[in-house]
Amino acid sequence: MALGDVLDPSAAIANDIEGPGPDAGLLAGKTIGIRLDEIWRAWDWITELWATEFRAAGATVIFWRSSQGRTGTEGERIAAELEDFLGKIDIAVVGLANCGSCTGWTIRDALEAANAELPTTAVCTENFTELAQALSRRGGRSGLRLHVLPYPLNECERDYVDAVAREHLPGMLQTMGAALNVALDEAV
Amino acid sequence: MSIVIAPRQAGQTANKETPNLRDCGPEGCDIDWLSSQRHATEVDDIVAFTQYALDQGWGDGLPLVPPTEARVRQFLSKNNRYADELICRLPPLDGEATVEKIAINAVMAGAEPAALPVIIAALEAMAIEDFELFGQNTTTAPVYPVTVVNGAVRDRLDIPYKHGCLGGHATRAAAIGRAIRLVMRNIAGQVPNVTSQTTFGSPGRVGGVVFGEWEERSPWAPLAERRGVAGDAVTVFGAMGTMNILDTTSQGGLEFVEMIGKSLGYPGANGFSPAMPFAEMLVAVNPIWAEIIHRDIPSLEDVQELLWRHSSLDADYLTPQHRGQLDAQGRVIDDRVYLATQPKDIYVLVAGGTGGLHATGFHSFGSCLTQTVAVLPGPELD
Repeated sequence: MALGDVLDPSAAIANDIEGPGPDAGLLAGKTIGIRLDEIWRAWDWITELWATEFRAAGATVIFWRSSQGRTGTEGERIAAELEDFLGKIDIAVVGLANCGSCTGWTIRDALEAANAELPTTAVCTENFTELAQALSRRGGRSGLRLHVLPYPLNECERDYVDAVAREHLPGMLQTMGAALNVALDEAV
Repeated sequence: MSIVIAPRQAGQTANKETPNLRDCGPEGCDIDWLSSQRHATEVDDIVAFTQYALDQGWGDGLPLVPPTEARVRQFLSKNNRYADELICRLPPLDGEATVEKIAINAVMAGAEPAALPVIIAALEAMAIEDFELFGQNTTTAPVYPVTVVNGAVRDRLDIPYKHGCLGGHATRAAAIGRAIRLVMRNIAGQVPNVTSQTTFGSPGRVGGVVFGEWEERSPWAPLAERRGVAGDAVTVFGAMGTMNILDTTSQGGLEFVEMIGKSLGYPGANGFSPAMPFAEMLVAVNPIWAEIIHRDIPSLEDVQELLWRHSSLDADYLTPQHRGQLDAQGRVIDDRVYLATQPKDIYVLVAGGTGGLHATGFHSFGSCLTQTVAVLPGPELD
């Protein structure tokens, strides 16, 4: 046996931003944009409940529903819609990373929001956390805010999902660096 | 790329007579064109190197050829490409697929230097944004890109298109598929349970699937030519695997097409999923059936239309919840749902042995658009 040199077959990694980006802060008076998708009804239910709380705190909430069709003319339409959506909001909540490719698109859209200097939080389910983190890191933002929901979720009944939404609201606000009112703002 | 003056080995002479200054070949050179990090390891022992590569995260578990500097230089010297030429970036990690990195992976896979243009063309095609490699490389699905080769390059590289073309035919060209798969692992960064969330994976993710179209037995124009690229070309298709279709009964073209079409339509195909806005379909027909089909249905467009209709499903065959989601997306038409949006998205080609009896269906991942790219070799070298 002989020692020798072999050439590394792997490729370089992009530069990284380790910080989470700006806090969402006090929600009153701000427009929160929530990205939905066509697949996960559980994410619709969760964001419906969260939106009620955000509105009660004085925020405006708008929704944008993405699709998995990110290619061809459908892809061009979705890209234009995303750009328009990001232009209308102050805070981005992007989900749901609950499958392989949709984790990819969730993180891509979240990175786009974060790169537009918006306070941005991506939301994934537990089993896709590692992928979401890897994609954030490889996308140049290892510090991207990521809130983790339990898995499985979409397979569960509405009552359970609503309970998850209520239980996770404080943690979600913490991840966002957000507060529903002044007192909480001080706490954050 | 930084240019480093490499130390000359004892007894080694400068390679001044080499007409190709892009790389100085296996015997060494004055200028180090290769920028990859060097790792000291066993290079004469395949078993030891394979384990080393696994430990480094470079390997797929099968034996690998150590990509020594001499082997990589020799590989490059047979191709007239700059080592630092960026061919494409490959998701999900957006790794830079330079000629050098591709060559290193091709050497590890055991590919012949002459195969580099096909490997590069396939990677160029896969990197086109509409191919949606990002989704394919991260999804829970088992999808992998199938590469169909057209043109004279099939025979130059012994790329199979007859008996056993999808696996089993012994040829050095098998290393082309594996080289592409190593590139996906080492450059694109597709690693199960790290970036790729594939639930089951697929054998096609190890060895790749690269096969030719049997153009000489096809009643239709070559697939790539129909897609606008004549001659040597590759077409990449995001396949969920292969589906065998056996028909020992039919006699006429209409019957064969009906049997193929109906076999393609099953509820769990990605084309019927609410998660996928559209899908394509690739069908490989054996040369015996192709002749009969063409005799009875002269227009390929008509063949595609019939396959499209026969592969559709009664919407009520789906579960109510499933149908409901498709209804909401406007995809239920006259109580039927379709595997592909339009007949033209069902691609047909001829391949396989003369025993006939079988067709192969490749269901697409969906949301990825098939791409065709010309195979462009560099200038001829001695």
